[in-house]
Amino acid sequence: MKECPMKKSDWLAYLSGDLEEGRRTTVAEHLKECPECRKEEAELRRVLEGADAVKGEIQQALREVDWDALPGRIADYVYAGAGKPEKLSAGERVRMWFLQAGLRPVAAGIALGVLLGSLGMYLALRRPETGPGGGRGYYASGEFLDRAELEMARRETVDYLEKSQYVLLDFFGTPSGQAGARPAASVAQARELLSKKKYLNRELEKFQMAKAKAICDQIEMLFLELAQLSDDLPEAELAKVRNLMQDRQLLLKISLVKKELQNGV
Amino acid sequence: MEPREISSLLERIQKGDREAFMTVVRLYQQKVFVMAFSILRNKEDALDAVQETFLRLYQKSGTYRPGHNFQGWLLEIAKNISIDYYRKHQQKRREWETPRPLDEIPVAVEDRSLDSRDSDLRSAFSRCVEKLAARQKMVFVMRHYNELQFNEISDALRISVGTAKSLHWKAVQNLRKMLTPYLGMER
Repeated sequence: MKECPMKKSDWLAYLSGDLEEGRRTTVAEHLKECPECRKEEAELRRVLEGADAVKGEIQQALREVDWDALPGRIADYVYAGAGKPEKLSAGERVRMWFLQAGLRPVAAGIALGVLLGSLGMYLALRRPETGPGGGRGYYASGEFLDRAELEMARRETVDYLEKSQYVLLDFFGTPSGQAGARPAASVAQARELLSKKKYLNRELEKFQMAKAKAICDQIEMLFLELAQLSDDLPEAELAKVRNLMQDRQLLLKISLVKKELQNGV
Repeated sequence: MEPREISSLLERIQKGDREAFMTVVRLYQQKVFVMAFSILRNKEDALDAVQETFLRLYQKSGTYRPGHNFQGWLLEIAKNISIDYYRKHQQKRREWETPRPLDEIPVAVEDRSLDSRDSDLRSAFSRCVEKLAARQKMVFVMRHYNELQFNEISDALRISVGTAKSLHWKAVQNLRKMLTPYLGMER
């Protein structure tokens, strides 16, 4: 079956004579051949005839009006009690001027320019979010850095005291008569702690941790002596150093100072 | 009329020029009347709506955007005023068409005189137009009674030309369905 070439949009344009010439000829030829479309055309024509019938009524009403007199009557009515025409505010007048059809591209260009300009100014002049750091990297105040350094010094000192405690206990915690049992690892640790003390000195002086410095100095002296002791040191010499440590209550003092530093005093 | 001439007339109206106002009334009174009459279906009511439309034009002449379709703008005002008028005066409205219900009107009777048959067809048709959805009705009225082009309808109703055409087609199809028993059409 041949497909019907009539489109929905063609019908009313065809019936009102608005269809372009070529298309109109095609439709007319198709109507000769297609009884279905002829029926459709007849029905649509009758509907539009109904509109024409009502239009006749409107034409009749139009004929009954005195059009020459009406403008005067309306003008009398309007000018008698209507007051003055409404005036637009200045803002509305500017808006109306911009919205004129001919000025729309100009208005759109100005609006776009203002938008881009505002964005550019904002980006150029906005306040740095990260302070004197210039927006690059991490920024911290001098006070905060000082506090952080002090805290680091405290922790390193505590760490030094703790390690020293272990080394001293290792040396002198061994029972008498077992001098040879001194572990070589402890001596190595003592030497390591001695070198660390050189670095720690700067920190202790900088932050004026006098009490911690005093105990660290005593530990340093003890470690110097221990480091100089040879493995075949008589037990008597070793006992002498142990007594010295006990007399000074070095382990107790280390514990106290360590606790003070841990509590942030 | 050229848009520039209309703008000039409206400027003069704003300055209180009565003659300019009457010129605009003379130019558009019949088109406004047709719009009002097709909604109100009564001559006197339509004339009242015409008067109100031009009063509104006088008051709002400063809000017209130069370059826009003046006729579309004015007919939009007329349409709104007529619809308001219709709602307010619905009870007082006189019957424009025959008081008989639509179903009782024997439109397609062979032995009726031509005039009587034409009158009943008008009655049936205007009742069917009245039953159309609001936008379909407005497009149909503007196209067939005001004889506006689709671009003018699109301006007046603030819709696209494509939408105006589509609403018109739907209106015709719905009228066709409603009028089928009265136009002797088979379905």
